[in-house]
Amino acid sequence: MCSEYIEIPVGPQHPALKEPIRFVFRIDGEIVVGVEPRLGYAHRGIEKLAESRNYVQNIYLFERVCGICSAAHTTCYVEAVERLLGLDAPPRARYLRTIVHELNRIHSHLLWFGILAHEIGFDTLFMYAWRDRELLLDVVEALTGNRVLYAYNLIGGVRHDLTPHVEESLRKVLRYLRERAEYYKRVVEEDKLIRARTVGVGVLSKRDAIALGAVGPTARGSGVDTDVRRDDPYAAFDEVDFNVVVRDEGDAYAKTMVRICEIVESINAIEDALSKMPGGEIRVKAPLRVPEGEVVARVEAPRGELLYYVKSNGTDRPERVKVRTPTLANIPAVCKMLSQAYVADIPVIVASIDPCIACMDRVVLVDVRSGETHVVSGRELRRYAIEWYERRGVGS
Amino acid sequence: MSAEIVKPLVEVLVYPGLAFTIVISLLLEWVDRKVYARAQNRIGPYHVGPHGILQPFADLIKLLSKEDITPGHVERLEYVVSPLLVLYFSLVGIFMVPTGAWGDGRSVVHFEGDYLLVLTLATLTTVFTFLAGWSSLNRFGALGSMRALLLIAGYEIPLFICAAAVVLDAGSMSLTRIAEAQAGGVWLILRQPIGFVASIIAIQAELERIPFDIPEAETEIVAGWLTEISGRKLALLRLARDVKLFLFSSLIATLYLGGPWALGQANIAAFLAKVLLVVVITSIVRALFARFRIDQALSAFWRFVIPLSLAQLVLTLALRWWLPCPSRW
Repeated sequence: MCSEYIEIPVGPQHPALKEPIRFVFRIDGEIVVGVEPRLGYAHRGIEKLAESRNYVQNIYLFERVCGICSAAHTTCYVEAVERLLGLDAPPRARYLRTIVHELNRIHSHLLWFGILAHEIGFDTLFMYAWRDRELLLDVVEALTGNRVLYAYNLIGGVRHDLTPHVEESLRKVLRYLRERAEYYKRVVEEDKLIRARTVGVGVLSKRDAIALGAVGPTARGSGVDTDVRRDDPYAAFDEVDFNVVVRDEGDAYAKTMVRICEIVESINAIEDALSKMPGGEIRVKAPLRVPEGEVVARVEAPRGELLYYVKSNGTDRPERVKVRTPTLANIPAVCKMLSQAYVADIPVIVASIDPCIACMDRVVLVDVRSGETHVVSGRELRRYAIEWYERRGVGS
Repeated sequence: MSAEIVKPLVEVLVYPGLAFTIVISLLLEWVDRKVYARAQNRIGPYHVGPHGILQPFADLIKLLSKEDITPGHVERLEYVVSPLLVLYFSLVGIFMVPTGAWGDGRSVVHFEGDYLLVLTLATLTTVFTFLAGWSSLNRFGALGSMRALLLIAGYEIPLFICAAAVVLDAGSMSLTRIAEAQAGGVWLILRQPIGFVASIIAIQAELERIPFDIPEAETEIVAGWLTEISGRKLALLRLARDVKLFLFSSLIATLYLGGPWALGQANIAAFLAKVLLVVVITSIVRALFARFRIDQALSAFWRFVIPLSLAQLVLTLALRWWLPCPSRW
C-alpha cells in the first residue's frame, strides 16, 4: 500500500450502497486516483437453480433476480421460452405486458430519482419521489395483485385482465405522475444545488460509453442512441408510440434528465397502449415440454439492455439459462467515471448507473499476484476445486 | 444555608442552568425533527409521549444504556475526553445568554466580553469534534474531521464579522448588554437584516446541518467523525448537538431579536418563543436544500456570505453615524 494515498473501502456494507458490492478507492486528499471494484457478495446461484426447475417454476424464480425490475426479467424470460415453443401470446396479452413493463420502469425510475436525491443530501426530494411512487405501486397491485413481484407474465400470456375500473384508476394515476414528472424535471433543471452536484460529475464520453459497452440510460445519457424497445421490439412495442430520450452531456445530470424524461415517455407509451388495446383472450395454453433448441431474448429493463439465453434439451426443464443484467454491463463504465472524481461525488456517480447488485453477481476470481480477474462458471469452479484438492492428495 | 448560596446554585444547576438547558435542548430537537418531517410530507416522531414529544429523551436514554465500546487501536485519552468536552463547552455557552428567567434580563454569568467567550467556546467544540473523529483512527472519522476543520474556514469568519457589526451597534461585548440595548423595541434585525441572514447561514454550517452537513455526509463517509463512536459517548455528542442548536438559536435570538425583552419586560416566554422561531427557520432551510460538496461550500462562503457580512459591517458603521441605536443607555 502506497503511503501517500489513503485507501478507502466502500462496501460491502456502506450507507451509500443499498446492496453489497465493494469498491476500494485510492484517494489523494479528496480526489479518487484509483478504483477497484469487487463483486460477488450477493451471488445466489440462480442460474444453476433454474436448471433443476421446470419452465413454469422458473418464471417465479427469475422474477426474484431483481425486485425492482421484476417485470423486465419475466417479460424477457417468457418471450424467450415462447420463441422456443413457436408460440405467440394473444395481442391483448402483449399489450398488457407492455403496460406492466412500463409501469415497472416508471416505478424503478422514481425510486432511483429518490435515491439520487438522498445521495446528494436532498432528503425532502427523496421523500417526495417515494411518496409518488407509492401511488403507482397501489395501481400495479390493483392490476396484478402484487406491489413488487407481480407474478403477472405467463408463458403464453398474462395472468389478469385489465378491468374498466382498474383502467380508470390507472389513467388517473398516470395523469398525476405526468404532472409530477414535469415538476421534477423543472426542479432538476432549476435547482442550483442539484445542478452543482450533478453537472459535470462522472462524465462518460460517447466513445467510452460505446467502447465499455454501457447500456440503458447510462449510454443514452452519453449520447448513444440505443433502446431495445425500438431497435428490437418485443411485446407490443412495435405498435406503441414513444420516443427514445438521448442526451449528449454524459454526466450525472444528463442521466437524471434521461430517466425523468423516460418517465414521461413511459406514460405516453402506456396511454397509447390503453387507447389501442385490442380485445380477446389474455392467454393461450402452453405445453410443459419445450422442444430442443436455443434462443436469445432481450428487453430494455429500466437499467438497460437485459439479455436471456435459454437452451432447451426437449424436457420440461431448461438445460442452461444465462442472464446478462444491465448493471454488469455498466460496471466498467462506472469505474471509468469514478477516476479523478471527488470523494463527495462517489455516491452520485455510483448511483448514476442505477446499480442493481443482486442482479449481476457472478463468481469472480481475482488472482492477487497477477492482478487478473476472470469469471468462472460453476462447473469450472468445481473442476478447479477437485484438481486443487487432488494436488494436495485429498479426494479420489 | 443562606439565599446568597442557594440562589446561584439553583441558577447554575436547575433553572435556567443545566437541567433547564438540557430539557429545552431535547424539546428543540423534537421541534426540529417535527418541522423537518412535516416539510417532507412525513409525520415524524409520534409514539413516545403526545405527538412524540418525548422521543429525544427516549433516544438519549436508550443510547446511554448501550454498550460503550472503545476500540483497541484508538488514541484513548482524546477519544474518551473529547465527547465530554464538546458537551461541556456547549453547556457553558448557555450561561452567558440572557434567558429572562426570574424576570431578570441578565444572564447567569455576565461580564464585558462574554460574547467573545461564547464564540471561542463554540470554536472549541468544533476543535474537539475534530479530535473525537481523528483520535478514533477510522478512515471515515478522519475524513469527517478534516472536513469539519475545513468548514470552519468558511463559517467562522462571517460569524465573527457579524458579531463585530452587532457589537458596534449595541456598544457592548456582553450578550446581556446587547439584549438590553434592544429593550426599547428596535430589534437589531431591523438595523442589520443582512447580518441576520449571514448569521443564519453560518450557524447552519456550525451546526453541521443541510446544506452544510458535509462532515457527517451519510452517503459519502458513513457517519463522518461520529463513525467510530458508540454508546454513552454517542449519547453525549447527540446531546451536545442539541445543546448547540439551543445555544446558537438563542444567540441569534439575543443578537437580532432582542433576547428576552418584549414590551419593556424581560421574560422567559418571549425568549423561548424567539428561540423557537429561529429553530423553525433553520429546520425549514434544512428541508429545502441538497448538500454542498466541501469545495462548493467553502466557495459559497467566501464568495457570498463573507462579502455579505462585510457589507453589513460597513453599513453598520455608516448607520451608526447617521442613526445611532435609539435605546443606548
